[in-house]
Amino acid sequence: MKTLIRCTVNGEEHTVLADPRDTLLDLLRDRLGLTGTKEGCGNGNCGTCTVLVDGEPVNACLMLAVEAPGHEIVTVEGLSEGNKLHPVQEALVKHGGTQCGFCTPGIVVSAKALLDRNPRPTEDEIRHAIAGNLCRCTGYDKIVAAIAAAAAEMAEGVGR
Amino acid sequence: MTGQPSTAEEQQKLKVIGKRLPRVDARERVTGKALYAADLNLPGMAHAKLLRSPHAHARIRRIDTSRAEALKGVLAVVTAGDFVDVPFGATVTMGDAGFDVWVVAQTNMAREKVFWVGQPVAGVAAIDEHIAEEALKLIEVDYEPLPPVVDLAKAIEPDAPVLHSNVITKGVEPAPRAPSNVCSRTLIARGDTETAVREAVAIGEAQVRVDTAHQGYLEPQVVVAQVDPNGFATVWASTQGQFTCELMIARILGLPQSKIRVVPMEVGGAFGGKIALHGEAAAVRLSEKCGRPVKLVLTREEVLQGGSGPAAGAMIDVRVASDSNGKLTAIEATYHLDAGGLPGMSPSLVMQASAALYQCPNLKLEGYDVVTNKPRTEAYRGPGGIQAAFAVEQAMDILCQRLGMDPLEFRKRNASVTGSLMPIGTPFPTIGLTDILEAVGRHPCWTEPLQPGKHPRGRGLSIGYWRGTSMTSAAHVTIAGDGRPMVTMGPVDISGTRTAMAQVVAEEFGLSIEDVLVTTGDSKSVGYSDIAAGSRVARTTTAALVEACADALRQLSARAAEKLQCKPEDLDYAAGVFRARTGAVISLPELMQATLGEGAIVGRGVSTRLPLGVEIGAHVCDVEVDPGTGQVTVLRYTAFQDVGRALNPPAIEGQIQGSVAQGLGWALTEGFDYGPDGRLRNASLLDYRIPTALDVPPIECVILETPVPNVPYGVRGVGEVPIVPVAAAVANAIARAIGVRVWHMPMTPERVLRAIKGGTLA
Repeated sequence: MKTLIRCTVNGEEHTVLADPRDTLLDLLRDRLGLTGTKEGCGNGNCGTCTVLVDGEPVNACLMLAVEAPGHEIVTVEGLSEGNKLHPVQEALVKHGGTQCGFCTPGIVVSAKALLDRNPRPTEDEIRHAIAGNLCRCTGYDKIVAAIAAAAAEMAEGVGR
Repeated sequence: MTGQPSTAEEQQKLKVIGKRLPRVDARERVTGKALYAADLNLPGMAHAKLLRSPHAHARIRRIDTSRAEALKGVLAVVTAGDFVDVPFGATVTMGDAGFDVWVVAQTNMAREKVFWVGQPVAGVAAIDEHIAEEALKLIEVDYEPLPPVVDLAKAIEPDAPVLHSNVITKGVEPAPRAPSNVCSRTLIARGDTETAVREAVAIGEAQVRVDTAHQGYLEPQVVVAQVDPNGFATVWASTQGQFTCELMIARILGLPQSKIRVVPMEVGGAFGGKIALHGEAAAVRLSEKCGRPVKLVLTREEVLQGGSGPAAGAMIDVRVASDSNGKLTAIEATYHLDAGGLPGMSPSLVMQASAALYQCPNLKLEGYDVVTNKPRTEAYRGPGGIQAAFAVEQAMDILCQRLGMDPLEFRKRNASVTGSLMPIGTPFPTIGLTDILEAVGRHPCWTEPLQPGKHPRGRGLSIGYWRGTSMTSAAHVTIAGDGRPMVTMGPVDISGTRTAMAQVVAEEFGLSIEDVLVTTGDSKSVGYSDIAAGSRVARTTTAALVEACADALRQLSARAAEKLQCKPEDLDYAAGVFRARTGAVISLPELMQATLGEGAIVGRGVSTRLPLGVEIGAHVCDVEVDPGTGQVTVLRYTAFQDVGRALNPPAIEGQIQGSVAQGLGWALTEGFDYGPDGRLRNASLLDYRIPTALDVPPIECVILETPVPNVPYGVRGVGEVPIVPVAAAVANAIARAIGVRVWHMPMTPERVLRAIKGGTLA
């Protein structure tokens, strides 16, 4: 038995059929084709499926698809406009903050959520904000540097 | 265009190599556009699931799949009978030794016996995952459970249950008559350690245990397979080697290689764990049977609970001896490596790695490969290196403490240099260990005293060696209609290879990196290449590309000569322009536009058996240990490494920092916890705890360059050695903080606390 779900993802309204057992992650990846959000563990331990739900970072594997209606969902695909990347994305490119890339979408989303509520984070605050996003390739150094650089860049933009 | 700037002056002239350039494939990664195998969805695609053994050791009496096959929505079912019964000892091509495909066949599907919890026994394809899952419950397997042997120490006891009736210990004379769990014995010996130990002024000893751990790549294994009506199979996989994958599938399915194309997708971390098969052959057979594309995605629990190979646990005893001047006189070591349920690797490389960096006249290294009823292990970043260094580098540290000698000074006195005899008796090629040690001695991480903290603090030093390998890499460079070089390379990119190779090709052509496009070919679109492993890819692909670029430029030069009406030898080439002595010029775009109709320009290159680019590093680590909780906090970490020549420094730093983070994980928190029944009790990323951003300090990298002679640009391996010294550096720091050694890795708070309280170790 499929169920009809109306949801808002990256500002677009969607009406899709989903299995009641589907998670929000299944909905995004399999029903909407938004495969930028990754599945690394399926039980909320790795953070690769981090998306924004009403601006808060959430593991999409821990939320059911049927819970999506009524919420604003933003995925990594919703953070860039055409070829214009979000400052966090630009900084990760510039500072070597992505290696295999599998954790990267989740990191990008967590970092955006951080900078939205705390535009001038300390290194410690950055590390806390991405503590739920496991990365096995980078040792986190360049990710932390990139997020700090993005924060500085955005603050400068605001000041201008 | 030489590929070999040999002097510092020539190196200065490098325009693209060595620059801090961002990855060429970074933008698709940060936007979520990079395509991994799980992101593929094909029309009419079926979903597969594997039924896995609940027993660590059992005989399979019978499998009945009829009820599963009858379930609505089930499209195909496979068991061992659907695959070739690959004979014991069979191999497929890989380097000089080949790759054991009998082992891979057992990990594909158990036949007659299961050897670990999680070994596949059947596979199902259905119209969706839920039905596939449902069908697994309907497969009836009649097991005769056998006593499992889970612990490495117990597996080598004479009365231990024997896993394999066909395993007779290799390397023992005369050959044993009865099978045992010891698959092989390797001995490396020179001189007389017995006398050296007897006459020694100081002795350092270590007896360590290392728990099995996992590579911890964030992307679980995935495959999408599609067999077309002509029987041609296309396999999209997360693999370290599309050719090896193809060879294994062909052997296990009994298909000709020409009927299989393996397309390597982006790899979401591998570290050695994505070389063998983890369902690829089963997916192809299921697709063949049901006539639809089939997708198989392992869950995280499957990855951890026997669906993929973790890294070998170990039991290592070491004794090192020195004279009164701090000259090392003997290394004696016994290494038992826990291969899991099927024969594993020869311990030889591990043994060599742990002794190679010391000039030592007397060596006796004895290694054993042992099977236990745990998942068959696979490679993990310098396989065995961190385990062995955990033992040997602690024994060295103890020796220093007994001698009252500074551990850096001790390493300097005994360091191997170019030409020193390696453990196997051949002289070391050019190495820069002495320079590394000098650099450590000058660095603030060593010269600045430790600041006192809330709890005891200590500083540890450790060094590491990894031999790496070369094997075969192929690449070709096609010149596009606009004159730009388009590269197709054979090796899979798991470490930023596309970026480094774009730099190499840009350098060779005198162009900018933006002018070069690098892609990895599938197993039908590029020449045979071995796996991305053994720290070999950047070095050997550079060599292949230097050759391919020269080949392409020769062909271009012939055309340019014709256009400029001169002889090719009268042409100069620089920065994308051919220039005749007359002063006439033609650029690559002009040349290609004018001569496209004459056919393609394709330059080809192959590197095989390139001289080794051995890797050496030294690590310094500061820790603080809370004696009340056993918690170890890593305060500062500095890694020194000789990379030959840094093609792309940020990529190298990334490799080093990632390696150190992995090493810290294994050193402090990561260990598989098996019950006596062989079931993994921490099969999730919550309970199997890999380091988070809060656990890893900033890791400083110091890159040194001692080029390898007769290798283009002098490039060394990079990716493996930086994990090797980590656990020992941490252990030595802990010992110097609290005066106690924790002999069991990971050195969890519980084990640290027990060591402090003098209790027996878990």
